[in-house]
Amino acid sequence: MTAYLIRRLFQMVIVVFVVSIFMFFLFNIAPGGPLTGLQQQQRRITAEDRARIRAQYELDLAWPWRYTRWLVGWPDGPVTIAGNQYLADMVVGCYMEATPEEGGGCIDTVTLAEVPQLHPAVKSSRGIVFGDFGKSTVVQPGQPVFGLLMSRLPATLQLQIPSLLLALLVGVPLGIYSAVRQYSKFDYTFTTAAFIGSSMPTFFFGLLFILAFSVIPSLNQDQFPWLIALPPGLQKAVRPYELAPGWPTINPGTPVDLFLHMLMPVTVLTIINVAFWSRFLRSSMLEVLRQDYVRTARAKGLREALVINKHALRNALIPFITVLVLTIPGLFAGAILTETVFAWPGMGRLYNEALQRSDYNIALAFIYVTTILTVLATLLGDILYAVVDPRIRYS
Amino acid sequence: MTASATTTPLVIKKIEREGKEESQWRIVGRRFARHRLAMISLVIIIIIFALTLLAPVISPFSRDAVDIAVTARPGPPGTLSSAGEVHLLGVDHLGRDLLTRVLYGGRVSLTIAFIVVIFQELVGVSLGAYSGFYGGWPDGIISRIVEFLLSIPTLPILLITSSILIKTDAQLPVPAFVTNGLARFFDSTPQDANKVLVLCLILVVLGWTGAARLMRGMALTLRGQDFVESLRAMGASNGRIIFRHIIPNGIAPILVNASLGLAAIVIFESALSYLGVGVQEPTPSWGNMLASAQSYMFQAPWLPLVPGIPLVLVTVAFNFVGDGLRDALDPRLKR
Repeated sequence: MTAYLIRRLFQMVIVVFVVSIFMFFLFNIAPGGPLTGLQQQQRRITAEDRARIRAQYELDLAWPWRYTRWLVGWPDGPVTIAGNQYLADMVVGCYMEATPEEGGGCIDTVTLAEVPQLHPAVKSSRGIVFGDFGKSTVVQPGQPVFGLLMSRLPATLQLQIPSLLLALLVGVPLGIYSAVRQYSKFDYTFTTAAFIGSSMPTFFFGLLFILAFSVIPSLNQDQFPWLIALPPGLQKAVRPYELAPGWPTINPGTPVDLFLHMLMPVTVLTIINVAFWSRFLRSSMLEVLRQDYVRTARAKGLREALVINKHALRNALIPFITVLVLTIPGLFAGAILTETVFAWPGMGRLYNEALQRSDYNIALAFIYVTTILTVLATLLGDILYAVVDPRIRYS
Repeated sequence: MTASATTTPLVIKKIEREGKEESQWRIVGRRFARHRLAMISLVIIIIIFALTLLAPVISPFSRDAVDIAVTARPGPPGTLSSAGEVHLLGVDHLGRDLLTRVLYGGRVSLTIAFIVVIFQELVGVSLGAYSGFYGGWPDGIISRIVEFLLSIPTLPILLITSSILIKTDAQLPVPAFVTNGLARFFDSTPQDANKVLVLCLILVVLGWTGAARLMRGMALTLRGQDFVESLRAMGASNGRIIFRHIIPNGIAPILVNASLGLAAIVIFESALSYLGVGVQEPTPSWGNMLASAQSYMFQAPWLPLVPGIPLVLVTVAFNFVGDGLRDALDPRLKR
């Protein structure tokens, strides 16, 4: 087991490393970023200004160096070994580029010795490995990315935790019941509904909810004043509102307001999870019910409830652990699509915003965190699996 | 007594019928036809296909033409155009005919799905068969890559890659007749058609692992079996064994995988386009139509339904067809 764990941890490090280096390379070829906006705003911007702003966002360094600086905060100056400086003259980037009219190329190169004064440690990242995620460039310029992510985390958890619990509460019994009553009318209805639910694009599901519970009621409230129109998005209202004409006014930020805004996104997320989990549990339960020991339990005259709940269910839940553990990354990373559909200010939407506006540092930090969470969750699932099921051994 | 006397000839008849030689695909077809939902789904898919192919026949409007006579934007179904023709599904926020756009959007979405699935199955099957059959270091490398691709968070990485490559105006180096052909089919410029291909490439790169794993497992079990041994004894080359025996033997799960893959790609593409990093305006796709529909929902509640209904129909139908195929191809896999 120890050897297995060490091997897996080693693989995880490689995965995270490869993903981050690949993403960094992609960002290097991406247009946009802090400079495009500036050029549009002020056309009379000198070459020196450009160079200064480039340097501010470390764009003057070549991308492999930018990557290592982003990752571990190195190189932060010439290599110092036993008081002697080495490689001080090594070129690591270009401070000022020549315009195409001047023939392109680089006018002023950056050497390793110039890095400390151009990029003091207080202004740039000390390395994401050491917990410094760098600073936002476009979405909230200058703000530390870590703080931004943390400010969005509560909103994401506010959606994820209720929907996770609800889905467990509804999905597990549904799947079990449907397996126990295989080929019954309930089973057929349920499997078809779950099949359709899990094969539908989730964001359209969200749009349908907005349409049915927000748009259509609010458009028809003149004729049918009893129709309740739920808020179509956001985490809380901007100004006081009422659900239907004549109903008590709801003030922004009150618990009722927050609850009403949560209602639709949580429901959508719950339905998606229920559709997937109950299908999974149903098939896992069916597999267990076919096994010999269940027949033995029945043959020796155990009550059916005991056979199902004690003997079969426990084993059927084992593979479900993996599924459950794999929801952990989503717990923090949020549901990108659902959050976007409902304009929910969570992590997923922040990521989407960062992509739209080419805020490299936010997007990179998000990818970095989700990749680590995903590989950790996979590993955790495998370990738990072996812990719960003694038949599984890793060697 | 009488009952058994009457049933006996029936049983004999049945045996006679089964005694006739029936090709495997006919059996599969018959079993598939029994799956009612799958058959309905197949019909729905064919209808939607036919409709998108017949787009210019069905709708008199061109894809991007803005109807200046229509003042209500978005305009409801039945709005009359300047020439007196009816906008059957209304016009969008810019005054473009929605029926035409949804049909062309279907062309784009479905073309992407088919291109991606064909290529990801091709890549997956060949790499999987190769690594499973030969083993050794190529297998090691391929398996590591598969493991790697399976252990990364797919949607965030898909989003980031797509958003960057779409922004860079990267063009895929394909022969001009491909982009020109696609451009004519989509009624778009060759540059826009090439962007669609870039999107396809990303989806293929991140999506071939399923087929590769299936085929690798298949090749691993098959290569140890007696018939492969006897093929060797008869002097069959490795290539012949792989292409004539291993791959045809493993084709059933691949077909199922492809069918479910079509649904998955339609969903992925529409999700990317909805988030604004997939197919770009003015090229329509069901996803980007939904995105602009959402902004005008309160003025025009029917707007999201126009691209949404075909989108749901197609994804659910592809899934049902995959389900039906699975049942038909391998009765042991029946749920």
